[in-house]
Amino acid sequence: MKRLHRSILAAVVLVGSAWALAQGALSWGIRGAVPVPETHPAPEWPRVEESATRRARDYPMQPPTIPHKIDNYQVDLNAHKCMSCHSRRRVEESGAPMVSVTHYMDRDGNFLAEVSPRRYFCTQCHVVQHLARPPVDNDFKDVGALITEAADRP
Amino acid sequence: MKLTRREFIKGSAAAAAAAAAGLPWRGEAANVVTDSAYTHLKWSKAPCRFCGTGCGIHVAVKDDRVVATHGDIKAEVNRGLACVKGYFLAKILYGKDRLMRPLLRMKNGRYDKNGEFTPVSWDTAFDVMAEQFKRVLREKGPEAVGFFGSGQWTVWEGYAAVKLMKAGFRSNNIEPNARHCMASAVAGFMRTFGADEPMGCYDDFEHADAFVLWGANMAEMHPILWTRLTDRRLSHPQVRVAVLSTFENRCFDLADLPLVFKPHSDLAILNYIARYIIRSGRVNRDFVERHVNFRKGVTDIGYGLRPEHPLQRKAKNAGDPGASEPIDFDAFARFVDAYDAKRVSALSGLSRKQLDALAELYADPQVKVMSLWTMGVNQHTRGVWVNNMIYNLHLLTGKIATPGNSPFSLTGQPSACGTAREVGTFAHRLPADLVVANPEHRALAEKIWKLPPDTIPAKPGFHAVEQNRRLHDGLINAYWIQVNNNLQAAANLNEETYPGYRNPENFIVVSDVYPTVTAQAADLILPSAMWVEKEGAYGNAERRTQFWHQLVPPPGEARSDLWQIVEFSKRFRTEEVWPRALLDAHPQYRGKTLYEVLFRNGQVDRYPLADCDPAYRNDEAQAFGFYIQKGLFEEYARFGRGHGHDLAPFDVYHQVRGLRWPVVNGRETRWRYREGEDPYVPAGSGWRFYGKPDGRAVIFALPYEPPAEAPDEDYPFWLTTGRVLEHWHSGSMTMRVPELYRAVPQALVYMHPDDAERLQLRRGSEVRVISRRGEVRGRVETRGRNRPPPGVVFIPWFDARLLVNKLTLDATDPISKQTDYKKCAVKIVPA
Amino acid sequence: MSGSHETGWRGWLRRGWRILRRPARHWSLGFLTVGGFVAGIVFWGGFNTAVELTNTETFCIGCHEMRDNVYQELRRTVHYSNRSGVRATCPDCHVPHDWTDKIARKMQASKELWGKIFGSIDTREKFLAKRRELAEHEWARLKANDSLECRNCHDFRYMDYTQQSPRARERHSTALASGEKTCIDCHKGIAHELPDMAGVEGF
Repeated sequence: MKRLHRSILAAVVLVGSAWALAQGALSWGIRGAVPVPETHPAPEWPRVEESATRRARDYPMQPPTIPHKIDNYQVDLNAHKCMSCHSRRRVEESGAPMVSVTHYMDRDGNFLAEVSPRRYFCTQCHVVQHLARPPVDNDFKDVGALITEAADRP
Repeated sequence: MKLTRREFIKGSAAAAAAAAAGLPWRGEAANVVTDSAYTHLKWSKAPCRFCGTGCGIHVAVKDDRVVATHGDIKAEVNRGLACVKGYFLAKILYGKDRLMRPLLRMKNGRYDKNGEFTPVSWDTAFDVMAEQFKRVLREKGPEAVGFFGSGQWTVWEGYAAVKLMKAGFRSNNIEPNARHCMASAVAGFMRTFGADEPMGCYDDFEHADAFVLWGANMAEMHPILWTRLTDRRLSHPQVRVAVLSTFENRCFDLADLPLVFKPHSDLAILNYIARYIIRSGRVNRDFVERHVNFRKGVTDIGYGLRPEHPLQRKAKNAGDPGASEPIDFDAFARFVDAYDAKRVSALSGLSRKQLDALAELYADPQVKVMSLWTMGVNQHTRGVWVNNMIYNLHLLTGKIATPGNSPFSLTGQPSACGTAREVGTFAHRLPADLVVANPEHRALAEKIWKLPPDTIPAKPGFHAVEQNRRLHDGLINAYWIQVNNNLQAAANLNEETYPGYRNPENFIVVSDVYPTVTAQAADLILPSAMWVEKEGAYGNAERRTQFWHQLVPPPGEARSDLWQIVEFSKRFRTEEVWPRALLDAHPQYRGKTLYEVLFRNGQVDRYPLADCDPAYRNDEAQAFGFYIQKGLFEEYARFGRGHGHDLAPFDVYHQVRGLRWPVVNGRETRWRYREGEDPYVPAGSGWRFYGKPDGRAVIFALPYEPPAEAPDEDYPFWLTTGRVLEHWHSGSMTMRVPELYRAVPQALVYMHPDDAERLQLRRGSEVRVISRRGEVRGRVETRGRNRPPPGVVFIPWFDARLLVNKLTLDATDPISKQTDYKKCAVKIVPA
Repeated sequence: MSGSHETGWRGWLRRGWRILRRPARHWSLGFLTVGGFVAGIVFWGGFNTAVELTNTETFCIGCHEMRDNVYQELRRTVHYSNRSGVRATCPDCHVPHDWTDKIARKMQASKELWGKIFGSIDTREKFLAKRRELAEHEWARLKANDSLECRNCHDFRYMDYTQQSPRARERHSTALASGEKTCIDCHKGIAHELPDMAGVEGF
């Protein structure tokens, strides 16, 4: 019953947005067509994407996203779960990619014997990806595509 | 984005064609492009678009598009690091639903409040907008128009807006959204030191022996400053970190002293520490005698609610909440002595042992201590008090303005300091800590602006929350919102903000880059340029002013907020906005447009186009025919030079990675008020708090008072709101970056598993969260990054679907007028 | 917290011991033999029932040391709540299922009783200070018995690699399959927070 309600609601929302578009109005961004005074139903709970392969990056400086779950991975004053696979000494056994060399540099650019503490909390830059479709697409162009376009120009 | 199959084939075909024609293509290697004609990227510096940390970002541009961003290795703030948002900055410009044309609600070819959004030209947009503003100014006067800006305005945008409103429209009804985040910090600074913004700087992170986080979740909200703190703590094992919060968050991973306290009891904890310092004989007597005054603030000051609210009616000192009287040290000691361990333990839930361990960090003269806070303290119905009381501890011990001894007020927005506070885009302020209520300050501003005396009105305008109430009541009728999403951000949106924007008497203009919920509730939407689509300047939390060049053109017909403000000013003549008496006394201003009076005044238009860096485009300079950003900045800088707010010459900032003001003789200031560091402190004085006439800072005796709303039988949970690392503010930029969206796709309802079990809920259950003001739906998280104690729930505010500010109460600190977003009462029922 | 309680059963022990020391005066040898046999059966059953009673989570978290520390941590993990609702309780992992081992473990547990009486981990600080030592006991036990309590539920023979994540599949099909590694080698800290891991292999 509840599911039926939800599908009806979804259908109404869909028809609503189609109507709004047909009227030449906007697609209302993240919230969609649910008017502000009404209560928007919560989106479904998304699962974390676990992928076997590495993901492509938009540019070389971009921190890679995490291709696996990290639930309850402990990174605190006691233990560093991530480094038990990704540290220089652990990668042979774990088969995980080693943290990049930049992670060994301190604030002044000196290489340390171990990973720099300024990089201690991995999740400040590296995040998991849920299986959730963004409501709004992004038109960012990869520099590779721009090069192709440039080469195509007479 | 990956190379699609089609693109690949196209590329291969082109290569084949080029080869057939005997032309070299893409250098030598078959599958690696090596030709510098293709691989060269133009890298430029820009401060980050997000939080108040002010990281330097290196931005790569190719073919008029931003193609990469990363932490600038030369930037002092972050030295090559960026948080996940900063690394993905390149993508915030390219959300598919960028606004590219003005959109006006129309019916039958005319503006209609209930019409559909229809694309119109800029001319039509400004015609309709000017007509509305003129009508309201004519019928109701300057108090009925308003401008709501932002701590994300560039310095010159905020400055131009202040001129347009305070001098042009003669209305002080201009406010930044910084009222929601930094007003209590400002009032705290003004009360204690007589001058806004921190005395210390980020260098303190590398010198402190102890860090105390007063509610700030830096691990998520100030990630790069957290890296500096983490670096210090882990590289130097003697360093200690105390984390205070009303729920466990990511900072607790580094906490030597993890302290979860009951909401609002910070007031009592701070007085306990003061008492502990005094009782253990560790007051720095010499410092206190030479540099400190003691005062006692009035109490029972109300909660900044509407005057008819019972809590307001009951409050004794709601009329003058900031008043205080002088006392001496002994009176202060007696005042805090009432906050003994038993009482404070009961209020806060912390044990005596925990309280003492915390107090010892401040009391021990060998420990250099840095206190850090943001919204937990500022968004608080007694936020100004808490700011004052943190300074109390540093002043009692003399641990201030020296490396590592630092009460440090963190900032939420990239230019809350640089624009909102320093330019003074508040209802009561003018640039450089000047205020409209002071006739000398007004006279100085009028002189610098080359305006007749008495142009600037003396009565402060209405603050942000009051503006919403007046929109609701139909007292403000023409309203312009730039660079912020106030419908999502302001508290109690169901009862105040939304009805205010949709009030048939009102005309609401929203300038934005994406269709936010605020834009959705507007009558006219103006498409804005963002970040590196214009030349800009921001000022971060450590007084660092940073510039950037325009790197790419804005899409479609989008224009910068600066262009919009200045262009709009062309549509008003002085006769239409200034009273006859003023013009009769100064007839030379008659017949002129506000553009001529405010921006073609021989100062703002002083620098020719030739002064612009030929390596970069500058759409605004081209549009107006002079280097407008430089002209505005140099005029603005006159307010502060020689008055403790000195800025360097304009061109210098394009060369360096920012400078911390006051910049005197080319040298920046790291520690204000300290002899040897701050050029304004005379030799032999050691310290001088020169914001106060006698050079002494103030220690305030202030009590614990209960919050405006607390859980009861009907609404048994505390609701606290905030942010997450991956999304910034209302999420209008970050929710459009696919990686950030997928990292945190929705706002969750963080709660304790016992509470969930009792309500027969579980992780992932959809619930209705209901307050006396509204209702939202979200999913329960019992295992996530935030772990509230029983009785507390946390919901972030980035999600436009959930809109948590339907629940929050628009109670404010009565002194700062800043809303308390951290405490209200809710109930939770299964959806 | 439960001081008077402890005094209570210490008193009970003392009284019981006095009764046991007294010689029989009124009953025949036969009665005592048969009676002893019956009593033995009753005792045996009672003993096992009592032991089983101590083998419940309710018993374990009857002490605040367990309830406020390790149990709260367990609640945030997959061993407490998960997709299918099959969950592990304290004894599932911490008490051997085989009778002899179980009794041996129970005898060891008398030391924990001692710790309880003398409050060796009765505050959060004390617990944290001892956490590494306590964890090491469990790691050593599981290492020695080839992670027996893990395998009581997670039997290697019935693992379906196709249902595992690529990372898990890779590790399970090599290191675990060859016997080179046992569960606890890689899965430390899956049900509770880790202690200071300085020097622990794999960290």
